[in-house]
Amino acid sequence: MKESFFRSMAWLHTWVGLLVCWLLFLIFFAGTISFFKDEVTIWAEPETHHVKQQVQRVQSQAEQINYVFAQLQHQAPNSLSWRINLPEPRNPILSYGYAEPKQPGQRRAPFNYTHLDPNTLEQLPAPRDTKGGNFFYRLHFDLHYIDVFTARIIVCLASLFMLVALVTGIVIHKRIFKDMFSFRANKGSRSWLDAHNVSSVLALPFHIMITYTGIITLIFMLFPYPAETVYEDGLKQMFEEALPINKRAKPSEEQRPLIAINDVLDQIYTKSPNADISYVFVRNANTATSQIVVYLATGKDVVDNGPRYLFNGVTGELEASSGEDWSASAQFYDSMTALHSGRLAEPLLRWLYFFCGVAGCAMIATGCIMWAKRLRERLKADQKPSFGLKLVETLNLATLMGLPFATAAFFIANRLLPLELAERADKEILVFFLAWLAMLIIAVSGREKHHWRYSAWLNAIACFLVPVVNALTTDGNWITYLLTKQWALFGIDSAFICAGLLFLLQSKKIPSHKTVINKAKSNKNRLLKEQQG
Amino acid sequence: MMELLQFSLCFLGFNCFALAKFNHFRDVFKKKLTEKQRHSFLMSGWITILLSLLLSVLNDGGYGALLFCGYMALSVVMLMILYSFTVSWVKYVSVLTMSVLLLSGFSVMIL
Repeated sequence: MKESFFRSMAWLHTWVGLLVCWLLFLIFFAGTISFFKDEVTIWAEPETHHVKQQVQRVQSQAEQINYVFAQLQHQAPNSLSWRINLPEPRNPILSYGYAEPKQPGQRRAPFNYTHLDPNTLEQLPAPRDTKGGNFFYRLHFDLHYIDVFTARIIVCLASLFMLVALVTGIVIHKRIFKDMFSFRANKGSRSWLDAHNVSSVLALPFHIMITYTGIITLIFMLFPYPAETVYEDGLKQMFEEALPINKRAKPSEEQRPLIAINDVLDQIYTKSPNADISYVFVRNANTATSQIVVYLATGKDVVDNGPRYLFNGVTGELEASSGEDWSASAQFYDSMTALHSGRLAEPLLRWLYFFCGVAGCAMIATGCIMWAKRLRERLKADQKPSFGLKLVETLNLATLMGLPFATAAFFIANRLLPLELAERADKEILVFFLAWLAMLIIAVSGREKHHWRYSAWLNAIACFLVPVVNALTTDGNWITYLLTKQWALFGIDSAFICAGLLFLLQSKKIPSHKTVINKAKSNKNRLLKEQQG
Repeated sequence: MMELLQFSLCFLGFNCFALAKFNHFRDVFKKKLTEKQRHSFLMSGWITILLSLLLSVLNDGGYGALLFCGYMALSVVMLMILYSFTVSWVKYVSVLTMSVLLLSGFSVMIL
């Protein structure tokens, strides 16, 4: 324990933050991109770029569901699972799929998907094999190349450290309101502290909310004991009782025809005349235990799951519904998940989420850099940097400059890797990690200012290459996206152009090796002249 | 237009808070801030910010509260850039904000 409460908090803030800052940067960075998960996936599948958003989207849903049901009855009448994804404001594609029989060793049954143009109901060419935005979404809580459970525990612990760092940060920031709008440029570590403070304070409600709700989303994995004590079957039983529509009927051998889907839709439209349907699932189709589940969109309600209805697939009887009669605690948990995922957000709020996420990345990055910079400034002229300082500087350069570089490489790989390449989606991810490794090698070779400068140049080139490569390999480009109002594609290309400009600005702001040497020489000469004078 | 009204109210509120600080006021108006002016800026700031929150929540409920958090973040970063790098623009931006506020307010009332 330090001599005062303030010093204890400062010590805790520094070490709790420093220990996990690089992992937190990865989580925040990938999480921030995940706010545009669907848009990234659309960008990554140029085969469907020509599909236009429907004018009367909700009004066409009944016709689309009927058409797809007929297709599925023809293609896979005895599949254990059907799934229909209806067009949404963020994704204009109508897609449906059915589960194929599970092969030995497979955890889940593979799904065979078909994509349709909702305007014409014509089949679209199969999109390239890519994970798209889902890669970044999974990366931010499942990490990669390690066991999912271990990864989530690590991410939860890092989030807990982040929460402690946020609370202690508020305690030690004495001038939180006085310095709210102040940034003193070109003042060494003072400027870094200002940048750290501003990026923390400006989105403080967001930082606290996203960290707290992040832990809450995984709370049942972290703390399953109450549920395991109360319920015989533990968490499984608790979720089945809380969400009866998730209770899956056992497959049956007895064949029974599936009810006409219009009977189910009529019940939905009677309950909610303007229902906006997001998904329709069918379980054990054409058997005695068939079930139909209909998911409605959430609208602007702060809930992660909109109303859902479970119908008996043979009789059409409504068996369960959820989202309407939840307990306060169930609603609280669902709202926390909604706040974290931001799936409810329309474009304005989505961009604000993204902006706050970028502020979070800046807060973590400036914190990492400030620690190393302060230690560097305290070094005497003849003192060599410690191993710890060198390690922190290496990880700073590798992570802060490596992740944007790897992201740009992932997008470029999406366009340049051959379409027929086996396990293409995994190869895109491999390119991401190889690019990150390349930046780590640069960081290990040196951490001087010119290394940061070269890394900024590399990042700028990679970012500018994304829209260029996209324009050269697809039918559209940044300008056509603007003219045809394809905002998702235009936004992603624009984001890379903006990032490229920022990296260019960074490379200009970092003094070159020659400038540093010349400046040192001129300072030395000036001191000599002063001494002689 | 409602979103623009909410944001301009929030931005104006934080601008008032910034002007209620002695150093920022001196940088903008080249004279000393009086105690009376400081109180006026603080009062105006609180009123406009609470009005922005009220409009956001009344219009969109919980979703509006989320929007308001975003407006606050955007306002603070814009003001930080203004006061740190282009302080001479503050007067013009303040007038522009007032104009946008009035126009969006009228549009909301008419529509």
